Amino acid sequence: MSLVAGPGRGGHHQPALPDELELCVEKHVAYIKSLDTRKDEYEYWLTEHLRLNGLYWGLTALHLLGHPDALPRSEVIDFVMSCMHDNGGFSAAPGHDPHMLYTCSAVQILATLDAFGDLEAHVNGGKEKVARYIANLQDRDTGTFNGDGWGEKDTRFLFNALLALSLLGMMHLVDVQKGVEYVQSCANFDGGYGTGPGAESHAGQIYTCVGVLSITKRLDLVDKEKLGAWLSDRQLPNGGLNGRPEKKEDVCYSWWVGSSLAMIDRLHWIDQEKLSKFILQCQDSELGGFADRPGDMVDVFHTVFGLAGLSLMKHPGVREVDPIYCMPKDIINRVVGG
Amino acid sequence: MPGYGEDPEWSDIVPLPQDDGGPNPLAAIAYSDEYSEAMSYLRAVMAKNEFSERVLRLTEDIIDMNPAHYTVWLYRAKALFTLHKDLRKEFDWLNPFALRHLKNYQIWHHRHTIIEALASDLDEKSPKIDNMIREEQDFLDRMFTKDAKNYHVWSYRQWLVERFNLWDCEEEREAVDDLLRKDVRNNSAWNHRYYVVFGRPNAPKNTTEGHVLMQREINYAEAAIRIAPQNQSPWNYIRGILSHFQQPLSNIKSLASEFASLEKPDEVKSSHALDLLAEIYKEERQLDCAGKAWDLLAQKYDPIRSRYWMWKKEQLGTAAA
Repeated sequence: MSLVAGPGRGGHHQPALPDELELCVEKHVAYIKSLDTRKDEYEYWLTEHLRLNGLYWGLTALHLLGHPDALPRSEVIDFVMSCMHDNGGFSAAPGHDPHMLYTCSAVQILATLDAFGDLEAHVNGGKEKVARYIANLQDRDTGTFNGDGWGEKDTRFLFNALLALSLLGMMHLVDVQKGVEYVQSCANFDGGYGTGPGAESHAGQIYTCVGVLSITKRLDLVDKEKLGAWLSDRQLPNGGLNGRPEKKEDVCYSWWVGSSLAMIDRLHWIDQEKLSKFILQCQDSELGGFADRPGDMVDVFHTVFGLAGLSLMKHPGVREVDPIYCMPKDIINRVVGG
Repeated sequence: MPGYGEDPEWSDIVPLPQDDGGPNPLAAIAYSDEYSEAMSYLRAVMAKNEFSERVLRLTEDIIDMNPAHYTVWLYRAKALFTLHKDLRKEFDWLNPFALRHLKNYQIWHHRHTIIEALASDLDEKSPKIDNMIREEQDFLDRMFTKDAKNYHVWSYRQWLVERFNLWDCEEEREAVDDLLRKDVRNNSAWNHRYYVVFGRPNAPKNTTEGHVLMQREINYAEAAIRIAPQNQSPWNYIRGILSHFQQPLSNIKSLASEFASLEKPDEVKSSHALDLLAEIYKEERQLDCAGKAWDLLAQKYDPIRSRYWMWKKEQLGTAAA
């Protein structure tokens, strides 16, 4: 899945914006399907290190748009499997090193496609092998996870690990309690969470920390009023959300902020009508795709998070997304139970 | 520059082309010719575990074309260690590179690896450590002139403080002061100040000494509020401090009242002050006043969050019961 930006620009083909913006489902489907026909472009190889993430974003967007079969299932699985390494981890693309981020995307893709059987068919005991790769990255003293063998730590990796392990049904392989304690140690004075203890609150990191506490059913540890206040304060007068105080709005925060609010049952604290309108202004209604903000180039990252944001707000024409897993709700019900 | 294929230095290497997952793959990877060639030489040297001067140059070349390729960084670090290179020289290359690629975080992970390796070779009390830290701080200050809110750089700076015990280092608070003088709304700088003063292992306690510090920090935030009353960072900072010392919000009632008053509902200068005032009223059981303040926020000063303000007002009913 290419992450090449453009060709379209969000809001570019709407010189006079109508009051009631519509979601252009077919255009977005066509846009995502077209991404892999653009391999001759300069930017294509620059995003190789994100390829497996990109595939997850594109596939999830298509599911949310109600076109789950728009990408050929067997080719998707073949590509995912070509990124798997002997140690059970996945890399962004063949020939790169395995890493937590891509292993998580691989598990999400396989779960979405109901393809854990295919994983077993490719690699005997494959599910457990993947789970053990993830489990081995846990630092048993602190509960955190490394992204790879090189020791970089980030609350993202802790979330990725628990998300993937819960999809695989193998949470018992890690010290969940230690992970929960680590997340608690990242709670900041302003109610938010950062990449580690004391790191600045950031909406993306909040999503991962609240995600960990949701998966482990420990939301009782969250100061929901304080966090909800900080999160809802991210909404700007134009309806869009930013990720930190005094930063610009960006469609992707519709997801990071929106899902966090949804997990702590405070999504109604923001103006959803204004946010929906802002997200719809970021779509290219002619060529498909969403940009970070109106006037910028579209890409698949902002496309999936724009759609997922609309889904949280039950926008017509978008399938329901699970606020923890960023995957279709019915698939999560099938894989981990409702 | 001639390609690797024409370079005699590389004539012993048979480049390895990309295997992108079988025939006609969904996510086939296409390259520019130059990058494609460099990568095929990297694959070949990695396959035979070669660590050499030319490998270092090759990784520089590839990182220059695609700094986000994490595998190349890892291989470069391995090469530096295997060849026992003088790691201080790595910064001659890395620093200008970091200043050109602000969004990249592999740079910071690499830097962390290098500094850790340098430090592990030195005695913790060695003046060389102090010099190294000073140079790091100077370089981080330069990075902040390009992007003062760069999350990777701030995370790195926090690691540095913790790793080398810089909690009492003047440079840390000076760096924050300097950035806040340029932009009082820089939330990252506020966070770093909080980290250094209150995030330390021996955080200030509820003692006379602690309270002197508390007042110093409140005064600091107060001065910033006077410059920009609608800036939420110093308000959050003060709330964080009071909560750290388990002090009531009423400690700063006069400050909040300066920027918001129910008697002058049209002259509110800060929605944050108004909210604070409402909470102080709630603490003081003046529930009517609290409700009026939140009404003002919902209707006039922050209507986009009216449902949040109304929820807060509804909670007063519970408090009254």
